Amino acid sequence: MPKEAIIKIKNVKKTYSTGEVAVRALLGISLEIYRGDFLIIIGRNGSGKSTLLRQIGLLDIPDAGEIIINDQNVVRISEKERSEIRLKKLGYVFQDYALMSDLTAIENVMLPALMLEQTVNARKKAADLIEKVGLKNRIDNLPSQLSGGEQQKVAIARALVNNPEIIIADEPTANLDSKAAKEVIEIFKKLNREGHTIVMVTHEEDEERSASRIIELADGQILTG
Amino acid sequence: MKSEIKIPFFLINRYLLRGNKWKLFLIIFLMSAAFINLVFVTSLFNGIIEMSNRQIIDTYTGNVMITPKEGSDFIEDLDVKLKKIDQIDEVLAKSAQISVPASLESRNIKRSWPILAINPDDEKQVTNVSEKMIEGEYLAPDDDDKIIIGRQIAGGDGVEMNAFSFKGAKVGDKVTMAFDGVAKDYTIKGIFYTKFLDTDERAFITEKSLNQLVPNFYNNKANSIILKTTEGDENRTIELLRDKELLENFNTWEDVAGLMKTVTKSFLSINILLSIVGVLIAAFTIFIVIYIDIVSKRQQIGILRAIGIKPYLINALYVMQTVVYSCFGVILGAILLFGIIVPYFNYYPFSLPIGDATLVINYGELIIRTETIIIVAILAGLIPAIATTKMKLLDAIWGR
Repeated sequence: MPKEAIIKIKNVKKTYSTGEVAVRALLGISLEIYRGDFLIIIGRNGSGKSTLLRQIGLLDIPDAGEIIINDQNVVRISEKERSEIRLKKLGYVFQDYALMSDLTAIENVMLPALMLEQTVNARKKAADLIEKVGLKNRIDNLPSQLSGGEQQKVAIARALVNNPEIIIADEPTANLDSKAAKEVIEIFKKLNREGHTIVMVTHEEDEERSASRIIELADGQILTG
Repeated sequence: MKSEIKIPFFLINRYLLRGNKWKLFLIIFLMSAAFINLVFVTSLFNGIIEMSNRQIIDTYTGNVMITPKEGSDFIEDLDVKLKKIDQIDEVLAKSAQISVPASLESRNIKRSWPILAINPDDEKQVTNVSEKMIEGEYLAPDDDDKIIIGRQIAGGDGVEMNAFSFKGAKVGDKVTMAFDGVAKDYTIKGIFYTKFLDTDERAFITEKSLNQLVPNFYNNKANSIILKTTEGDENRTIELLRDKELLENFNTWEDVAGLMKTVTKSFLSINILLSIVGVLIAAFTIFIVIYIDIVSKRQQIGILRAIGIKPYLINALYVMQTVVYSCFGVILGAILLFGIIVPYFNYYPFSLPIGDATLVINYGELIIRTETIIIVAILAGLIPAIATTKMKLLDAIWGR
């Protein structure tokens, strides 16, 4: 059975301006990501891997090219539509967790679900996910009361709460110790086995073994993969 | 749509409960200070205006002042006219006054001041000079050689018009009143101090003593009749007086106010100007504080956007937050205002040359000030929130 492309990236280009210097971060990337992939993007610093991930995660808008998610071109759509896709179809896990500091673990996780569901249902879903990532006893802790690994697990639970098809993770283990990093990777592997498509940027060679596909970027272009 | 509307309520609840309490208190305190500033200045000017109006009514003109018709020096047939005035229900009290064109001499100082011959019992019903005695006593109807003088006539240390006074006259001192070739010695029975300069430059004798001095001349005549009416009934009273076919000049206290009317108008203009300045200062202050607060939350707004919270909900969140700040600010301000500031100034009024001013709160203005604070706060929350929800998402997340 042929693989079904859930994300199609066609000749995506992105240039950043840092002061007077223009940095050409992506020089025309084309890529297809298939349903059920565990795609890991590797590359040196400045290779463009995080830039590519942000275009896919709709956190940024490419200068040129197309990004098609589930047959919808998401490059030229309104901010409202982008919010809708980020809410329902994508779960984004940040390197620095990006949790709301005044919300407890469960509140952080249930927040996106509140957009779509009643509070009771959102809370139940969030509680189940927190239990799933192994933080049942930390459910009412604020981010400041959690370790880096625990915060990242909360961030993963939040990314999952609306059951998105695609999970995007930008170096999710970069700030974690090896034990916590291993636990986080195990969670991603489990999610992939459950059917989620994972797109992850990493520096860690150990983590590359988890991938069903690896692509390597260099100077804004795909080197291998 | 229905479900997502609860997001701002969910978040604001947590922000207020778990956010930095000191920051919350400072923002609310600043809002309350802005509110008090807006209300205080206006109330003070209201107080000064009301006080000066009260001083005119209570010590000088009554609510309505009747003066002779054009071409006459006196109100003639006083008895008949007083009877007609008595028939008007709106008139609560009346007092006929005769202006005595005399000079007073004491301590080798001779000057002319306004001297009024009155029936003390009638005058007491219209003005409150009798309650403002700082030395001695008020006149009795039978006093035929007694005079009461205002503080500005008595003079003394600290008296504003001391240079043009008796420079320290006391109760019991003799004063010679002279006019039209006749003179009479009076004893100062009392000194009054109303704090209203025009009144405190007056002297009063009884009509009985004047009639003894110049028999028959002032019989059944007066130079003015002052009336006490219910507040706001002045014009109606004048209409009724005209209906009685009285041909004299009828003036409300405002018509007679003269210079005070100009001063009051100036106060009103200054009040409006200061209110505008106050609103602008409050607007800028609140805007800056809320702006800084929201800019400091730029990263949080970025995260909300990144996880799919719609911009309008984020804007609603920060607008609601500033509305909560401003409502608590107004409540705190009102508690401080009505619990501490107004009672304090009622107890220790501002002492001005024209009287003691307290704070007079106009509730219509109070509502406008409250609305002003809330509207400014809404704009102060909305503008930076919109700016942050429109900026590049990555810049917001990275707090750039």
